[in-house]
Amino acid sequence: MSLLRSLSDGLRSLFRRERVEGELDEGLRGFIEMAAQEKMKEGLSRKDALRVVRLERGSLEIRKEVVRTAGWESVVEALWKDLRFAARVLRKNPGFTAVAVLTLALGIGANTAIFSVVQGVVLAPLPYREPDRVVMVWLNNLHLKSITDLSYADFVDWQRGARSFEKMAAYAWRGFDLSSPGTPEHLQGREISANFFATLGVELAQGREFSAAEDRNGGAPAVIISNSLWRDRFGRSTTTMGKSIVLDGVEATIVGVLPPGFRFGTDDADIYTPIGQRKLVEQNDRTVHNVVCIARLKAGVSMSRAEAEMNTVQETIDRLHPDMEEGLGAKLTPVEEQLVGDVRGTLLLLLGAVGVVLLIACANVANLLLVRTAARTREFSIRSALGAGRGRIVWQLVTESVLLSLFGGVLGLVAAKWGLNAALAAVGSSLPRSENVGLNVSVLLFALGVSIVVGILFGLAPALKSSRQTSLQEGARGSTAGSHRAQSSLVVIQMALTVVLLAGAGLLFRTIQQLWKANLGFDAHNIITFQVGLSPSATGNGVGVRSAFHQMIERIRQIPGVQSADLSTLVPMSHQVNSLPFWVDSHRPASVAEAPRTLGFITGPDFQRVMGIPLVRGRFISEQDTINAPLVAVIDTELARTYFPDTDPIGRTISFAQVGGYRIIGVVGHVQHWELGFSSPFTDAQSYVSIYQVMDRWMTTIDTWTWIVVRTPLDTSTVLPDIRKAVYGAGSDQSIYNVHTIKQIVSESMSSQRFPMILLGTFAGLALLLASIGIYGVISYSVSQRVHEIGIRMALGADKRDVFRMVVGQGLALALAGLAIGVVGALILTRLLSSFSVLLYGVGASDPLTFTAVSVMLILVAVLACYIPARRAMRVDPMVALRYE
Amino acid sequence: MAYKPSDLVQGTLDLLILKTLTLEPMHGYGIAVRLEQMSKGIFRLDAGSLFVAFQWLQRAWLVRSEWKATENSRRAKYYALTDQGRKRLNSETREWERQVAAIARILEAS
Repeated sequence: MSLLRSLSDGLRSLFRRERVEGELDEGLRGFIEMAAQEKMKEGLSRKDALRVVRLERGSLEIRKEVVRTAGWESVVEALWKDLRFAARVLRKNPGFTAVAVLTLALGIGANTAIFSVVQGVVLAPLPYREPDRVVMVWLNNLHLKSITDLSYADFVDWQRGARSFEKMAAYAWRGFDLSSPGTPEHLQGREISANFFATLGVELAQGREFSAAEDRNGGAPAVIISNSLWRDRFGRSTTTMGKSIVLDGVEATIVGVLPPGFRFGTDDADIYTPIGQRKLVEQNDRTVHNVVCIARLKAGVSMSRAEAEMNTVQETIDRLHPDMEEGLGAKLTPVEEQLVGDVRGTLLLLLGAVGVVLLIACANVANLLLVRTAARTREFSIRSALGAGRGRIVWQLVTESVLLSLFGGVLGLVAAKWGLNAALAAVGSSLPRSENVGLNVSVLLFALGVSIVVGILFGLAPALKSSRQTSLQEGARGSTAGSHRAQSSLVVIQMALTVVLLAGAGLLFRTIQQLWKANLGFDAHNIITFQVGLSPSATGNGVGVRSAFHQMIERIRQIPGVQSADLSTLVPMSHQVNSLPFWVDSHRPASVAEAPRTLGFITGPDFQRVMGIPLVRGRFISEQDTINAPLVAVIDTELARTYFPDTDPIGRTISFAQVGGYRIIGVVGHVQHWELGFSSPFTDAQSYVSIYQVMDRWMTTIDTWTWIVVRTPLDTSTVLPDIRKAVYGAGSDQSIYNVHTIKQIVSESMSSQRFPMILLGTFAGLALLLASIGIYGVISYSVSQRVHEIGIRMALGADKRDVFRMVVGQGLALALAGLAIGVVGALILTRLLSSFSVLLYGVGASDPLTFTAVSVMLILVAVLACYIPARRAMRVDPMVALRYE
Repeated sequence: MAYKPSDLVQGTLDLLILKTLTLEPMHGYGIAVRLEQMSKGIFRLDAGSLFVAFQWLQRAWLVRSEWKATENSRRAKYYALTDQGRKRLNSETREWERQVAAIARILEAS
């Protein structure tokens, strides 16, 4: 109650000043009048009575001030007065204000932009109910020390056996060809188990999840669609539930719609179907590991306890399938790690870098303030002579600088909005959770907080410094020596910080350079790759798929300008995995889990020629290696070196689990399959088998993960219409999707280095610009202060070259000091870069070339920045300079 | 000599003002005179500290005020105790007596 009253009273005196003042005035006046009347009764004249009262009870104005400053509103009022005064001061120096505000806007804007990314991706909680309880459960191969996806059969066993989880669900990637309603289109999708969304903790916008009856073989075809598909194909109609769409030629009933913006991982999925309805061969085969398991921990169950329990569950499964699963365990990871992954470290690194840019900007503004407060010495002397305490003056100056940085913050928000849009457009969906990034309330609060802190930071030092000069005698000259030292050290700090940023950006630049130079093991030029959704009529059986592919490739090869074309289930550097357990000759291990792995390319006979992979020994797969011919395989130099160290592999047998033995007919060069600089948990040994020797039952599932590679010197846009025509020859219900050039894929594989390089490069450039402005400002200020001295030197016989050397030397000394500190700092900090394994490739953290280039660049820029004031110094006329004094 | 609020034991001015208002609503000068009389001239209060105290007491909802005509038919702000003020006066008085007794015991003990 009383707080409310105090608040309303205070507000009343703030906003209804006159009335409140009037009341106070009347009250006090009445008081004094009555006191005087008393005195007059004792026989004093009115004038004397008033004088005595004033002496006894205090003068009216001073009493009024006492009452006025007693309430909280007086603090607000003083602040408001300070702000108005500060605004007036800033308005009177438009040049200074503009430069300072722009500098701060750059710094605060860049920080706000990066923070909004960090906030959206790393800090904001996942949009699931109690996200801390959602975990990923992986199969852990204890022999190979790697975690993998599991088979559907494993998942069913897990779900039956596990007790630590409230719910457990599975999903697998799958593409779908949607043919009705609307135009046919290939869409990304997922097969999910019945309680997938409940496990995640996500509410559907419409309808329901799959029932247990739907999530099994022979269940009624059902589908859950994304919100965007609902919007585009059904206009958000509420009667969509129960309608049907045609997927891969099968009619499925829509039972649910996802909430808008739902995304799990980096890729968008529009179609969700029951995983229990997948093809039988994928359901039962324990060697097909393409299912990912998520689970919701029961309340109070820790991750380590759940993991221990899952390990016992997996042990039981191991015992039931000794040929298959021996030596497997389970591993739990937080869902956040899966969704955000190693972006976290990179983003925090960038936030640190952009913070450094802000510090440099602050140093610039502090320098400007130092110069300006030196010029305002008189003002402070007068104010303190009139009774202003030191604290009051510091308060006033800090108010000014905070106001300055608040303006910078507002302008910075505009810059952040603009920069963020540009950055998000550049990274696209490769940044996880990027849909969550924007200028929201917490970002605005961050910008406000940063502005205030920064304002205090760069305002406090100059304010403390200038408030120390309190005597009026210190006139116009002030004490320039002290502020000079402060300015110089600020410049040295700026230079050092810039060196650190430049070195970081330089190392990333060298990394990208090395990546482009790296030997990929194939010729990345002039290859187009894409996927085709085969006509549902062709995919019914293995024979149909095989002949549909064969005919299509033949038609594509006829296109003028196409040099060669073929099929492959793996395209290098595009994240695809087909990790097969294998053994040589008859050395079958006791359990498949113990078997070494090879990356299995299932290709057509021309794949090696299309990709330009060198043949080392023997021959590649040929047209004659068909389903009726003996099984043959080609291995790469890596597999040959590891498993046939001193013998000739040709003619030996390599066996794949569940499939059989293949005679090795040739050795080809090793292909860079993983992203460069990425230490893969998967195998590096590669092998090739013919797609035309794949068993019929497997052939029916292979089309969704088969790519077509085409070597042609023509432009994608030129040749694509012809390819489309050739593909459609089989029937117009086939679609072409995922069209890329191999060059694009290679370039894309560097995105985890390129994105930070571009940003760090931008920040380093910004830092260099700010630091050069900083050194320019300090040197030219010093020249203007030393005109007199320079005049005397010239009068005593110094020539222009000496003066030039003196000025540039002064700047260079600062730059060199900064450089020395910066290099030491950079050597320490770039080790951080190399600890993010993906960021650096082919360069050491203390790469001498980078550091030399950075040093040369910094010195050049510093000399250039000093050149202008040095020229001015050279033009000093000794006569004018001396007379001026 | 006028008493500055700092010369009074912290918080006692508020207590004294509340006490003077127990009988009837009074205006500022009246309160000052009453305090002076009751203290036999020891507490001669300065107008500033009185009005600061009034402001505080009003905001704490312990007194309320209204403009009325005085006996000399001038306009003056009259202060009156609220129920809350009366309660506060009672509790503060008890507390004061308790403390004074305690202090007295300590001082006499030597």
